[in-house]
Amino acid sequence: MDFAYTESELAFQKELRAWLEENLPEGWLEGKRVIPEDDNQKAAFLRDWYRKLAEGGWSGISWPKEYGGRGASLMQEVIYEQEMARVKAPPALNIIGTAMVGPTLLQIGTDYQKERYIEKILNGEEIWCQGYSEPNAGSDLAAIQTKAVKKGDKWIINGQKIWTSYAHLADRCFLLARTENTGKKHEGITAFLVDMHQEGVETRTIRSINDRRDFNEMFFNDAIAYDADIVGEVNQGWKVSLILLSHERVGVARQTFRLQKQFEELVELAKSMKKNGRPLAADPLVRQNLAIFRTKTKALLFNYYRHLTNTIRAGRPGPEGSMDKLASSELGQEMLAYAISLQGASGTLWKGDASVDQNWQQEYLRSFAYTIEGGTSEIQKNIVGERILGLPKDIKY
Amino acid sequence: MDFALNEEQLMFQETTRQFLESKGDLAIPRDYMNGKKQVLEDLWNGLGSLGFMGINISETYGGLGLGALSLVPILEEMGRSVVPGPYPETVAFAVPLLEAYGSAEQKEKYLPEIAAGKRKFSLALLEESGELSPSAIQLKAEQRGNEYVLQGKKILVPYADIVDTLIVPVRTGGTSQAEYGISLILVDCNQANLTMQELQSIDETRKLVNVSFQDVKVPNTQLLGMENEGWAILETGLNHLNAAFASTMVGGIERVVEMSTEYAKTRQQFGQPIGRFQAVKHRIVDMKLALESSRSLSYYASWAAENNAEELSEAVSMARSFISEAYIKAAGANIQNHGGMGFTWEFDCHLFLKRARSLENHLGSPEYHREKIAVELGWSENVIPEILMS
Repeated sequence: MDFAYTESELAFQKELRAWLEENLPEGWLEGKRVIPEDDNQKAAFLRDWYRKLAEGGWSGISWPKEYGGRGASLMQEVIYEQEMARVKAPPALNIIGTAMVGPTLLQIGTDYQKERYIEKILNGEEIWCQGYSEPNAGSDLAAIQTKAVKKGDKWIINGQKIWTSYAHLADRCFLLARTENTGKKHEGITAFLVDMHQEGVETRTIRSINDRRDFNEMFFNDAIAYDADIVGEVNQGWKVSLILLSHERVGVARQTFRLQKQFEELVELAKSMKKNGRPLAADPLVRQNLAIFRTKTKALLFNYYRHLTNTIRAGRPGPEGSMDKLASSELGQEMLAYAISLQGASGTLWKGDASVDQNWQQEYLRSFAYTIEGGTSEIQKNIVGERILGLPKDIKY
Repeated sequence: MDFALNEEQLMFQETTRQFLESKGDLAIPRDYMNGKKQVLEDLWNGLGSLGFMGINISETYGGLGLGALSLVPILEEMGRSVVPGPYPETVAFAVPLLEAYGSAEQKEKYLPEIAAGKRKFSLALLEESGELSPSAIQLKAEQRGNEYVLQGKKILVPYADIVDTLIVPVRTGGTSQAEYGISLILVDCNQANLTMQELQSIDETRKLVNVSFQDVKVPNTQLLGMENEGWAILETGLNHLNAAFASTMVGGIERVVEMSTEYAKTRQQFGQPIGRFQAVKHRIVDMKLALESSRSLSYYASWAAENNAEELSEAVSMARSFISEAYIKAAGANIQNHGGMGFTWEFDCHLFLKRARSLENHLGSPEYHREKIAVELGWSENVIPEILMS
């Protein structure tokens, strides 16, 4: 049993740390971490940050060197997530492109697709989104109804997608559409690479409970894709989507490390807030709760390390990632809720009027998506129950 | 990065499981509950010949010279089978303390016998107040010539009825409140006139005994470590012992997860195995998640013990506070998952619940350990409210 990083892993960490200190937006490390609220300003901010990452060689680090990546090891990827969480780096705008679409194209894409897309994913020239969920296909993703019908070498796409992150900023979409109705849900789905800048594609932002507009609806009205835009085989889209998922090697590393950081901030909050003239951190009940959160955040981290050890030994991630996802999302919610409680009567003030740091209120509201996005807690529990414990499969129709 | 047991440790796990199965698995605690104290002798002899009594005893004294982490797989297996007996007290309290603080004579006397499975230890810690603090140690040891004379009473001593040696924190000096003035004495039960009062507990697999010391004379040479400096030694020992209890509880949680899973696969209602219903399935998943976290925290605690890491106390208190509660909850859910059958004496579900309860407040309640975490991490005032000390 050994928690230490190797020499080369430490060197990698040091290099990234130094780069971040040089390149994070001004004032970021000192705590001025506000992403503009205005949609256009925010988009420009995220594009800038992504371009910086790409230019510094810090996007798509796990990609092979010949395609502009670093050929990073799994441990390096984990360290990357750890460092990004440590400085609370802004989100990487093209994460769908670098983490999922790119590696999938490198694995099963055509020569044309590699030639056409790979470089532009990495350098951020083209931002990608992922067209999966639909109004009637959420947890039951295979129930998608968006249709693509073949007409010569063209495919005509009609339907609606929803919950697409950054679709309003995206240039391209990795889209799942139904190309055949065999009566079996998982059959007859095809994966397309769709141009977002065409008449048949319209996006509408969704206003979330945290007053942000990061999610979108997408409407396809006779949108067009070509044979050359199909990933894998026609009607094999479900398999392709699983390949796409398999490139998520580090699981919830970012969230796990972010929670470690958030816990430290929670303690600072409890030290700074006063009740009856004494810091909250001196209150016996508060101390009990903080100790519970300390224990749970550490347990989360060590669970992650144990599962990571399994992944390293087996050469690929197992279903344990679902347990990490479940635990991290539920714990994140719990901890952020407590951070609001600690702030007392002014705990509900937000944005410019927040009494401590507006990120608490923002992230508290955001946390309600943790247990929904990327597979709800209920779906994760089914996966753990069925794939890890071997319990009977849910009743499905 | 490597956060898993190594091959040798996995082998210990397998060997222990085979050994305990050959001895009857859950029939072991059942037999003990039915008054067959002989099962402990069988166990000890068997563990001795497997070399499992000497895992962390140095090779000079007949052990394997390994660390706390190598005990983890064995302790987990014992927890799985709700094994009775003072294995944790012997290997995870007496052994590390004798190794670190014992005189050459004490090591020579005790360690080879422990390694051979011929000597059992327990810890006689609590007194009337039931509290775990320096001020609670009031049993007097007065020095007369080359002997200590012990006067007082210890309560809730595990397995005092059958152990060979008790490690007894006593007061040899200082004020009655202070850490200074506490010493640890090794009391060989067959040499001393101890009055034992065996107690009835819902966990019949852990015999608890009140022990009275009336003018009990013990040679000076039985002092463990420095006189009056015993509190710090005791704390070190408790860290090792609590890490060990955490591992036994992880074994128990693992077992109830398996029991529930198996039962949910086979028990049918409404024409379905009940594990198909999310209300049942998701409850078992919650148990599984608690098991994962418990195991991670217990590994970490034993890792810290083996490496004498700075964060040892915190790691142990995180493990104990979390796992004690997780075990109680999982054992309770296991009864619910078994329906009416889970409520019967005949089914094994209750063994785990009772063991979980009997360990909950043993050597520090969850609240006590959480406050300790707060103190360890330096959150404001360094004051443990008295109310949390029990």
